[in-house]
Amino acid sequence: MAETKVRVLVGTRKGTYIAQSDAGRKRWTVGPVSNAGRDIFHVAPDRRHPGTLYAAVNSGFWGPILYRSKDYGRRWEEVATPLSPKSKDRPSPFDEDPAHPTVRPVTNLWHIEAGHPDEPETLFVGADPHMLFRSDDGARSWAPVPGINEHPTKAKWNPGFGGPCLHTVMVDPRDARRMYVGISAAGTFRTDDAGVHWRPTNAKVEAGFLPEKYPEVGQCVHHVVFDPSDPSVTYRQDHGGIYVNRHNMEGNWDRVGKVRGGPKSDFGFAVAAARSRPGRAYFVPLEGEARTTWSGGLQVWEWNDANRSWRTLMSPKKFPGDFGVQREGLACDERDPAGIYVGTTTGQLIVSPDAGKSWLQVPYAFPSIHSVAVA
Amino acid sequence: MLREFVPKTRLRSDALTVEALLDDLESRYPRLRSKLRDETGALRRYVHVFVDGENVSSSTALATPLSGAHTVDILHSIAGG
Repeated sequence: MAETKVRVLVGTRKGTYIAQSDAGRKRWTVGPVSNAGRDIFHVAPDRRHPGTLYAAVNSGFWGPILYRSKDYGRRWEEVATPLSPKSKDRPSPFDEDPAHPTVRPVTNLWHIEAGHPDEPETLFVGADPHMLFRSDDGARSWAPVPGINEHPTKAKWNPGFGGPCLHTVMVDPRDARRMYVGISAAGTFRTDDAGVHWRPTNAKVEAGFLPEKYPEVGQCVHHVVFDPSDPSVTYRQDHGGIYVNRHNMEGNWDRVGKVRGGPKSDFGFAVAAARSRPGRAYFVPLEGEARTTWSGGLQVWEWNDANRSWRTLMSPKKFPGDFGVQREGLACDERDPAGIYVGTTTGQLIVSPDAGKSWLQVPYAFPSIHSVAVA
Repeated sequence: MLREFVPKTRLRSDALTVEALLDDLESRYPRLRSKLRDETGALRRYVHVFVDGENVSSSTALATPLSGAHTVDILHSIAGG
C-alpha cells in the first residue's frame, strides 16, 4: 500500500523538526523539536530503510554529533560520528605543507547521503574542513576517503564564506562506484572507482573571484542535484551562476542562468529537481551581495531543459519580504504532481503541493532553516 | 549540561594528570568521547577545566599533575544565542 504520509525533515539552527501532511500536502502539523538548541545542518532520510533518518547535529559546546532515528524522528539516538584520526600535532596553518596536509579536527557535519541501494549499509558524510567520510556498517564506524580528502589539487582549494566544507555528496543510482562531491571552494569532483580516484569536473564554470576565470578547481559550488529521471543530467547552483551538465559532469557546463527570460541574478544556494518533472530544475535566485531575494518577495524559478526556458513559479507578492534560502533549503518529493518545499533563513516552510501552481506556508514559525528534505 | 552524557555530577578518579582524568572519564562514559576535546586533544572552545579553582584550560595545562587530593571542575561557558 502506498505511503500516504508526507514528512518534511526540517533542520534548523535550533533543532530538528518533522512537518507532516497527507498526500494532499495542504494541511500540515509540526512535531515537537528534537536536538533542541543545536545547529542541524542537514536531516536526511535513508530510503533503503523506511523510517530511518540521520541528522547532522553541530554544537559549539560538544562539537559535531551524528544522530539517527528509526521511527521517522519520534526518537533519536547518537551513533558513531565521523571524526579525524586522533593527533596531537597542531602546527600553524602558515606552516602547512600541501604535500603532507595536517590532520584537522572535524568542525561541522554538513551533509549525509545514503549509499547505493546495492550497498544498504553504506553511508557518506561530508564535513568541514573539506572532508568526506564513508561507513559500510550502518554508521557504527567511519573512515575518511583519502582520495578526495588529500586530493592532489588541494593546495588550490579555499574556504567558502560558510567555511571549507564538503557539502554535496551524490551517488549515481545506476552505478555504486560512481559518485560526485561538491566542495566550497574547490568545485565538483567525480569518482568511477568508489572513491579511490577523483577528477575535477568544473569545465567552463566561472570563478570570478580568482585570477583565472575558468580554473580546473577553486569554484565555489553551492549545491548540485541529479535529474531523478535521468542521472546523466545534473543541475548546479554555483557562486558563479546556474549551470547544467548533460553528460555525467563530463565536458563543459552550460550556464543556463544567463538564458534570456531567466532571473536577473543567477546567484543562489539551493537547487532541487523532481522525478515527476523530468528535465526541470528549481532554484531560488538571490541578490549576490545581500544573499536575499530581490523584488520584495520570495521567488522560485523553474528551468526547463527541453526547451531551454525559464519561468517563475511564484509572484514576489505572494510572500513579501527579504528571504534567504540555504543550499539544502529546497527539496522536491517523489509524488505526482511534485511537491516543492522551500525552507527560509527567516523560519518559513513554504510548500507547493502541485509543482508550483499554488503555494502555502506551513503554519509554524521555525528557527532559521538550514535544510529541508522529504522522507 | 554534561548530564546528557554523564549521569553523575560528582565523581572520583585516581588519574594523575588532568589529561588522564579526561581519558578516565571518557573510558567510563563513552558518550563523552569527542565532546570535551577534539581530535587533537585540545579542549573544545567553551569547555573550561579548573583545578582547585584555577583555570587550566590551555592545552599545556592539561598536563597539570593531580597527585594527592584535588577538586577538578569541568564547566561550560555561558555562551550562544
